[in-house]
Amino acid sequence: MYGQGLIKGLSVTFSRFFESYTEDIRWLFKRYSKVEFHSSKDTRGTFTIQYPEERLIIPEEFRYVPFLVYDEGENGEKNIRCTSCGICAKACPPQCIWIVRTSDPVTGRPLPQPAEFYIDADICMNCGFCAEYCPFDAIKMDHDFEIASYTRNLLNKERLMKPASYYAGIRPKNNAREEAARAEKAAAKAAKP
Amino acid sequence: MSTNELNLPDFNIPSELDGKVAITTLDRVYNFGRRSSIWPMMFGLACCAIEMIAAQAARYDMARFGMEVMRPSPRQSDVMIVAGTVTKKMVPAIVRLYNQMPEPKYVVAMGACASGGGPFKEGYNVVAGIDKFLPVDVYVPGCPPTPQALVAGMIKLQEKIDKQSISKVRWYQKGGDSVEVAVPFLGPDLIDPRRIPEIKAKAAELATPSAQNAPEK
Repeated sequence: MYGQGLIKGLSVTFSRFFESYTEDIRWLFKRYSKVEFHSSKDTRGTFTIQYPEERLIIPEEFRYVPFLVYDEGENGEKNIRCTSCGICAKACPPQCIWIVRTSDPVTGRPLPQPAEFYIDADICMNCGFCAEYCPFDAIKMDHDFEIASYTRNLLNKERLMKPASYYAGIRPKNNAREEAARAEKAAAKAAKP
Repeated sequence: MSTNELNLPDFNIPSELDGKVAITTLDRVYNFGRRSSIWPMMFGLACCAIEMIAAQAARYDMARFGMEVMRPSPRQSDVMIVAGTVTKKMVPAIVRLYNQMPEPKYVVAMGACASGGGPFKEGYNVVAGIDKFLPVDVYVPGCPPTPQALVAGMIKLQEKIDKQSISKVRWYQKGGDSVEVAVPFLGPDLIDPRRIPEIKAKAAELATPSAQNAPEK
């Protein structure tokens, strides 16, 4: 019979439309004030996220433009984890990462930290390969999506650097796993004579 | 807009007139009208268009900002959301549509491809960013930006409109006509008419070898 698919599809649309009324009755219009409810997979019916006032809860694996993680020292110094090895720049499919390495001014040997670090956010395709390939957990994908600007978004090192506590806040599960892996690695290294 | 928002803080309104009278500037009223009815042009170029459609649909609902009327005609639209990869074949059409838009007109480059070429920046058939041709007002990074990110970009555009002054805007100045961008044309490669004098000079230079380039006898 022709038109079966059409009826099937329209019935889905209609059931969504109908559900938004039954949900209203079920939750007594309280569902509009609960973002947690909208973000869950059990939510039914149509609704609007009042964006600047309320935001959808961002899932942990959501990824936007990358950022650089730094560990906070005792005196508030920023110990950047990046060693400017350049693996992220090599792995980056659209080639949007630009790293300038530091060298010791006396001996001329390379130092394990970047002098400059640029990510062209207007080229970045948010694939997360840099975070995937980084052996030092130094570059991670951000959750902050409100970086629209009036000029090209060429992010420099100062703009990209964010503390490790921020990373632990946005990705608690990933952070716990990586912390455990690092601790295990350090223990294995200490056990070796 | 409530009277409190409309009021200028510099002027004190007597208490008996509070809530009934608002002292404001023409700029604020003018900009309020403009910022609350930004009509985007209805066209999408690639995957970013899907996110733009999602931003217009019930869940994110750009109608809350007065941006719900997607006009299929450039004559009726205020903002051009360049949503997606700009191919060399599409650029002449986009520039022509931009020229047909009435002032004041704004351009939002949505997504990595429209802002800087994105993953296709070195592609043989892709323009690395619409800003090579059109004056872009807001760049929204992301591949693609989520509907919320696009709405954040549009709010940024509203902030830009708020800062403009009716006495200084280009389209009310004497001789400040609509910005006309020369429409590029597609030859063997994309040719930008603004660069034709430069190309001609280069061709003439190559045709007549100068003294230093001439082979020695």
